[in-house]
Amino acid sequence: MTPQKHISEKALKVWRLTGLFISIACWAVMIAAVVVILIFDWPLWLAVGIGLLAMFFAYIAIYLVPLIRWKRWRYDVRETEIEIQSGLLIIKRTLVPMVRVQHVDTKHGPLLRKYGLASVEISTAATIHEIPALDISEADNLRFYISKMASVVEEDV
Amino acid sequence: MSESKRLHPVAAVSSAIKLIKDALIPLVIFILFGGGGVSGRWAMFEFIAIPVFILLFVGYGILDWLRFTYRIEAGELRIESGVFIRKKRYIRFERIHSLDKTEGILQRLFGLVKLKVETAGSSGDQADATLTAISKNEAERINRIFHEVKSSGKIASAAETQEIQGVEKTEEIQSVFQQSFRELFIMAATSGGVGVVFSGALAFFGQFEEIIPYTRLFTGFEQFAKGSVAFIAIIVVFGLLFAYLIATAGIVLKYAFFTVKKNEDKIVISRGLLERRQLTIPLEKVQAIRITENLIRQPLGYASVYVEYAGGSILDKESSHIMLFPLIKKEKIQEMIRQFIPEYEIQVQVNPLPKRSFKRYQFRVWLIIIPAAAICSYLYQPWGYLSLLFMPLGASWAYLCYRGAGWNITGNQLQLRSRFFSKQTFIFQKKRIQAVYSEVSPFQKRANLASVSAVVKSGAGPRAGKVVDLEAEDSDRIKEWFFERKN
Repeated sequence: MTPQKHISEKALKVWRLTGLFISIACWAVMIAAVVVILIFDWPLWLAVGIGLLAMFFAYIAIYLVPLIRWKRWRYDVRETEIEIQSGLLIIKRTLVPMVRVQHVDTKHGPLLRKYGLASVEISTAATIHEIPALDISEADNLRFYISKMASVVEEDV
Repeated sequence: MSESKRLHPVAAVSSAIKLIKDALIPLVIFILFGGGGVSGRWAMFEFIAIPVFILLFVGYGILDWLRFTYRIEAGELRIESGVFIRKKRYIRFERIHSLDKTEGILQRLFGLVKLKVETAGSSGDQADATLTAISKNEAERINRIFHEVKSSGKIASAAETQEIQGVEKTEEIQSVFQQSFRELFIMAATSGGVGVVFSGALAFFGQFEEIIPYTRLFTGFEQFAKGSVAFIAIIVVFGLLFAYLIATAGIVLKYAFFTVKKNEDKIVISRGLLERRQLTIPLEKVQAIRITENLIRQPLGYASVYVEYAGGSILDKESSHIMLFPLIKKEKIQEMIRQFIPEYEIQVQVNPLPKRSFKRYQFRVWLIIIPAAAICSYLYQPWGYLSLLFMPLGASWAYLCYRGAGWNITGNQLQLRSRFFSKQTFIFQKKRIQAVYSEVSPFQKRANLASVSAVVKSGAGPRAGKVVDLEAEDSDRIKEWFFERKN
């Protein structure tokens, strides 16, 4: 019953870029800390420790997290329901019946647009579910498909 | 059709009072800290400013009242309001979800009611339309039009033009639930409201430390009190008792004369001693039922029953989960629910969690308690060891949480039960569930366990029932059940 479809492989690049930006921000702080350590002649091993920490952090944020996240992310859109799987350590699976879908949006920020990606947001009366980073054409198709299926199966809310 | 009407002048007073109430905290701060060190002419400033403010508010209230008109026309409730910005709001009667009738103290003095009109889209910070003060007959007229539209789909012209003669109507009332006074007091006495009042009082007196000369007050008998810890203990106990009494009295006032009536396909809830409130909910808008048993009530065999409801606005938290039975004997729930909302089946065999998930419930509690106790014991040498007492407490709490959790599927109904402090039983109908989630952490995966939650619409947002650490197989079964659509 595991959902089968992966999201776009380009998502990995986008997430790595995001990870890089976050890492750069962290490095800025850490470099400042190292400078302070050097100025005040505090023990050198502190600076070395911070450097190692920065490397480790970068490894996690740029390499590990995007990879695991991408591997975990799956979705399936069937006739009567949508199934989504996500998570890093904790695997979360979401089940949304088509009848409950109220509307579908696709959207893309500058980073996603650069790689020709878009994310799909599925809204029910009470919840919002996101499938991040699909190819724009695929996202559009999905949007059409879901809204078509949602209007076919009509039930009283 | 009907000409524009104004609200009763009391509405002006009511909106002025509301403005003053909103401005009270800034005003108090202003008085306390405003002209503190200033002397001379400016010292009197605040004594002039405050009456001016109050006059302004009253003036605004009157203007607000003058500008507020409503009429019923072409199947719509049309409201025009606003002092500076004119606002026109037209609400179609068939879009109305519920009518909420309140009689505050002010309204009761003049035999009036406040009528709140809610539609499904009340996602704003308040009800769609509030008629602050109208006569009871007028409220009854609007109520009747609402009911007629609901049943026939259009407004009978008679109801629209004619003033109704007399208030009595032939309503078909099928069942009634009435809270007895004995149960009202038990409910008030066992509610958790006490803690809130007490901490509120503490914060309150803390605020005034600078103004009330506590130290001067207390130094007198400090000598006296130093000898007797007992004296302080007695004061604390009395303080607690006082807070408890106030909280209890508050709840009694609020929930006195609690009555639920079923009228065709609507539930009418009315309550209150000083402020009387009446709420009408159509049955088809009920999204789920929740049964809550807190730690004190559970051993006494009592529970509270709520309905989750799709109308209502965000800020008005009370309106999205409505108390259906504030306090009811557990064994009577089934019978009463069958009368009011027969779709729901209460007495079902709840499947417990597997034994091995008990370990995980324990583990989660210990994860917090052991480090906390260790730090306390280390830092505060003699007394810190008292924190070790939390260990057996934590262990039994974990046990209760474990025992409280469970699930059941009966036909198209899903029941999820869990405990944090109170035991919460959510009962969902499949067609009301918006989404089902399952979660598996690496630890859970190793033990072949999972967590499941189901979400329904409540008010403007979601509300979830969750069971942690059930058998992975059972989690799959719940999902499969949710997959199956009747075709």
